[in-house]
Amino acid sequence: MSERSDIPQKSQDDLPAASSATRRIFLQGLAGAGAAVSLASKAAWANGEIGFWAKDLSNDQLIHMYTTIQRIRWFERTCVDKMLTEPGYRGYNHFYVGQEAVATGVSAALKNTGGLMEADLVYSTHRPSGHAIAKGVDVKKMAAEYDFRATGLNKGYGGEMHIADKSVGFMGADGMIGPGPVIATGSAFAIRARDSKQVVVNYGGDGTYATPQFHSTLNNAALLKLPFIYVIENNLYHQYAHYSYSVPMKDIAEAAKTYGIPGVVVDGQDVFQVYNAAKTAVDRARAGEGPTLIEAKTYRYYNHWGAPGAKPGELGAFGYDPLAITSFRPERELRAWMARDPVDISRNALISWKVFDRAKADEIEAAAKKEMVEAFAWADKQPMCKPEDGLKNVFVEGSVPPRQFG
Amino acid sequence: MARKSFMYAALEAVQSEMQKDKNMIWVFELTPPVASTPGRPVINLEREFGRKRVVNTGIDEYWMAACVLGAGLAGSKAATYIPYQGSMMPFELIQNEVGKLRMKTGGDAEMPVVFVIEMTGQTPGFGVQHSCYEEDTYYAHIPGVRTVIPSNPTDAKGLMHASLRSRDPVVYLYAAGLRDLIEDVPDEPFETPLDKAAIRSEGSDITIVGSGAGMPEVLKATEELKKAGMKVETIDLRSLKPMDTETLVKSVQKTKRLLAVDQSYYTLGPAAEVIARVAENVDGARYKRIAFPDAAPPASPEMFLWMRPNAGHIVGAAKKLVG
Repeated sequence: MSERSDIPQKSQDDLPAASSATRRIFLQGLAGAGAAVSLASKAAWANGEIGFWAKDLSNDQLIHMYTTIQRIRWFERTCVDKMLTEPGYRGYNHFYVGQEAVATGVSAALKNTGGLMEADLVYSTHRPSGHAIAKGVDVKKMAAEYDFRATGLNKGYGGEMHIADKSVGFMGADGMIGPGPVIATGSAFAIRARDSKQVVVNYGGDGTYATPQFHSTLNNAALLKLPFIYVIENNLYHQYAHYSYSVPMKDIAEAAKTYGIPGVVVDGQDVFQVYNAAKTAVDRARAGEGPTLIEAKTYRYYNHWGAPGAKPGELGAFGYDPLAITSFRPERELRAWMARDPVDISRNALISWKVFDRAKADEIEAAAKKEMVEAFAWADKQPMCKPEDGLKNVFVEGSVPPRQFG
Repeated sequence: MARKSFMYAALEAVQSEMQKDKNMIWVFELTPPVASTPGRPVINLEREFGRKRVVNTGIDEYWMAACVLGAGLAGSKAATYIPYQGSMMPFELIQNEVGKLRMKTGGDAEMPVVFVIEMTGQTPGFGVQHSCYEEDTYYAHIPGVRTVIPSNPTDAKGLMHASLRSRDPVVYLYAAGLRDLIEDVPDEPFETPLDKAAIRSEGSDITIVGSGAGMPEVLKATEELKKAGMKVETIDLRSLKPMDTETLVKSVQKTKRLLAVDQSYYTLGPAAEVIARVAENVDGARYKRIAFPDAAPPASPEMFLWMRPNAGHIVGAAKKLVG
């Protein structure tokens, strides 16, 4: 084990001054559930590094993080409302609302420029909007892709579940549960071999724990000391089943112990806590010290897919989802999580840190909302795909023959 | 007899076999074994048989398939429902273990097991991974594993009974696109043979062969062609392995024209096998084949719907072949 692999994963007591009593109680609960499962070195701990890296961020960087949270929130809320109010709208979505602090906090610790050979790389999931926006993907092109337009991010071939833009290191969304993280370790292996100092982040939900690929990923990443970070967004439900159906312990981060790598539980509603954990993991990976598993405890405000049970203009889906046969999400559980909203937490922190005032926070939100309404309006005017173009993009060149006519 | 959905009919067979055999297990993820139909009791296997025999697992389709195989080898009847999101994850297990166990043990291994492999509903907009239709080609290639593909609720029930009673392992392809089909299905248990195609329409001008989720469009085209005066013989394969060569050959010996239709990709799909078997046995016939192009289904509905075989394509090809 190298000397710096022992950077302490700070306990959940390292809260910003703005922390509310509610949050403290919640986090005490988290800690009790096994938050301190990292390989925190007592020596490094004794060196006095508290690990609250957000202390070093400039006001501009902090405001950028808040802006990103608002942009994700309003990209999705605009899309929800379109789905609910425009019968002709064809987009379908796996909404990320409620989890914005995770993608925002992680991307704030990454290098997002320089293209494929320099930027840090992110592998996303079937719930990709937040990951993509936080990485810097163009929201107009995303909105166009979600409605399958020829000028969309992936020219209408991908749709929401398969958006990708390697120019900003957003390696793409994958509709499968399993393959993503193992592929991501392949990218990390290449980076280590070419010594390009990039870091690879893979996002996965609580459902990925059960897959054999989860364990293959951590094993190989640990064996080869890859510059790799596995961010589990534990939003408690995989599709329509509570994670107790597929994980034998409360904290998935505990799995890191088996592979001898740091495993950190973090409050996924607090962007600064996420940033602190991500920064530690990124520094470690970039220094060649190997992978980290971060488990962000979070929650999605909508059901697994689409907007069943939601109402136009209202945040969250409280109504019936006919597909949720195994586990119905209790309305009180959802409301309890919404009381710890990532928007409110970041906003209150920045106000208390005197980074901005209420008026400025409102202004940022209004601008984000306007930007997204305009992005979807732009998307609405984009051209549809040409049917016969479906025979292209099979190989680098040319197209395959049509076979449907006989 | 009562009107039953595809899922209800299939689960009615499972329920009946599980009531008869107290050792039988059912393994699932994401798709609970629950179905209802007007005027009949709700079927909920998990509730009826308990979580010891009916288990909702994590997302690990390889384990689901392996669990069922292991249960079978240990002497218990077992079945699993693999949703389309994971339909190819257990392929290696089924291809390299299930398909070869009987041979490698000289017939010692017993495998009273059924792998219900869901195929997507080919929903426009769902994109390459969630609207494909290709598992028929892959699974039907495996020796030692029977592969069936019901196209209506009655066969869904009859083939499920026969699959669960078979001593051979069965891949039961469940085309999610057929989930909404409803028809009268007998209440009592019955078996549909695992090796017989069904003749859905008799005629002497042309033989049209389809299977699974392709059948509704094949049947629609059949009606249209018959209205136009064509005598159409329409065959639903029902079993891809073994394939009912005899029924196919007899039909084309009569019609001398064969139109084979796949929802699957063109290369090596069931339609290719149908034509090859008939061509080996019938002289002087004419052939055409309709299939999804050799391209993954793009998300854009404009592209996808243009590429997916439909009744219009079938009618056009049939007229070219007969006219």
